[in-house]
Amino acid sequence: MIRFEKVSKTYPGQDHGALDKVSVDIEKGEFVFLVGASGSGKSTFLRLILREHSATEGRVHVAGKDLNRLAGWKVPRLRRQIGTVFQDFRLLQNKTVAENVAFALQVIGKSRADVDRLVPETLELVGLSDKADRMPDELSGGEQQRVAIARAFVNRPMILIADEPTGNLDPATSLGIMKLLDRINRTGTTVIMATHDAGIVDQMRKRVVELAGGKVVRDEARGAYGYEN
Amino acid sequence: MQMTYVFTELKQGLRRNVSMHLAVVLTLFVSLTLVGLGTLLKLQADHAEEHFGKINQVVVWLCNDASKASTCTGGVTPAQKAAILKVVQDNPEAKGSHVESQEVAFEKTKRLFGQQYQTKLPADFGPDDLRESIWIDLKDRHKADGIMSAVEGLDGVDSIRDSRGLVGPIFKILDRMQIGSLLTAGVLLMAALLLVANTIRLTAYARRREIGIMRLVGAGTLYIMLPFLLEALITAVAGVALAAAALSAFEYFAIIRGVSDLRLMPWVDWTDALLAIEAAAILGPILTVVPTLLLTRKYLKV
Repeated sequence: MIRFEKVSKTYPGQDHGALDKVSVDIEKGEFVFLVGASGSGKSTFLRLILREHSATEGRVHVAGKDLNRLAGWKVPRLRRQIGTVFQDFRLLQNKTVAENVAFALQVIGKSRADVDRLVPETLELVGLSDKADRMPDELSGGEQQRVAIARAFVNRPMILIADEPTGNLDPATSLGIMKLLDRINRTGTTVIMATHDAGIVDQMRKRVVELAGGKVVRDEARGAYGYEN
Repeated sequence: MQMTYVFTELKQGLRRNVSMHLAVVLTLFVSLTLVGLGTLLKLQADHAEEHFGKINQVVVWLCNDASKASTCTGGVTPAQKAAILKVVQDNPEAKGSHVESQEVAFEKTKRLFGQQYQTKLPADFGPDDLRESIWIDLKDRHKADGIMSAVEGLDGVDSIRDSRGLVGPIFKILDRMQIGSLLTAGVLLMAALLLVANTIRLTAYARRREIGIMRLVGAGTLYIMLPFLLEALITAVAGVALAAAALSAFEYFAIIRGVSDLRLMPWVDWTDALLAIEAAAILGPILTVVPTLLLTRKYLKV
């Protein structure tokens, strides 16, 4: 589903690369934690998948496409196969919960019938059916993140990228979010989650890819956050 | 493509930046009006040139039956005309020449008087009341003495008009007005461009979150740009409409109800005014849509 082949990325004006010859293979339906200190290259890794940036060297394949060779006008189509969730939720404050989720479908030209079917279905999945008409500022942090996940998943993407989705949430709420991501993963969606949350990584026992200084220093099938002695 | 979002955004965008849009519309209005006026002045200069001859022309009026000059004994004969033309062609100061018949002179007079020529001119007024003429193009507009003295006094020549003295000042005024209006228009158009750029930057900033999400979920480039393009188009249409109204008002009040009674030369008419409006109508949308296309790419990174 996602394959990095000796991928390096150097940003203009920087002498050392954000990623350095990274090779990672992620299969369809996998759940992968991306861990590492700030500045280790996690965000760059995610941005390359989204084709927000291009690799300086090496090849990035996502959903069967070589992103180095993907024409600019085809990028929107690629992104429709990837859902993205952020630490800061990024909800539109002037829209209701349902409108926020529907927005993701409307702007890619889905029909009203699709919107009317998929939005309630997805809100049901994230457990917010009863809050469809609330505004984001009336919700708790955990609920807002559920809305963000619903928006990312409403188009049923093949891949879900989560960049520190529990970073702003308390442990109990974080656990709820993780259960939700796990449920989405069980539908066959590949989930890649960058996190600093050791508790969650240790508890979930999923594949862990650790980055340090732009290199992959660990890739364990059922790993923990740190090295286990 | 669902257009609901585009139109909601468009409405919001227009409302959010109403003062900015008004500034763009007004600047466009004034600058497009000036461009239109510049066009009209250019067309007026063309009319003047057609009527009076170019600035480097000398006009030789040939005798008609009513001529009283000593060189005239009735209308000019074909032989006299041929002799005069030969002198003109052989003269080193002349670059070329053409003959204007009495019929052409009559048509020009009719144009000068417009539709009122039938009431303002005697009923039996016709081509025979006017003179045939030879229009001589000069090689150098400062050198005409030689050819004028060579033609003067030839049989069949009624009089000679040195267009340079008559037309020079008119062209000078028209030229200066044209340059003035186009220069002012140029400065204002720059202002309009900068205002458009600012508006886009503000709107893009105000909507950065929406735009960010749209990019992430895979909205197409055109879809993201559409509200901006439509905003640009609407301001352009408003600016053009105001300029068209101003130019029409100018044509009606300043020309038709104003100077057209001065039978100095044919004045710009509705056909010309329409041409000026067309110029504004083409320029207006280009001025807002092109920078929008370029700047949305820059600010939205779509």
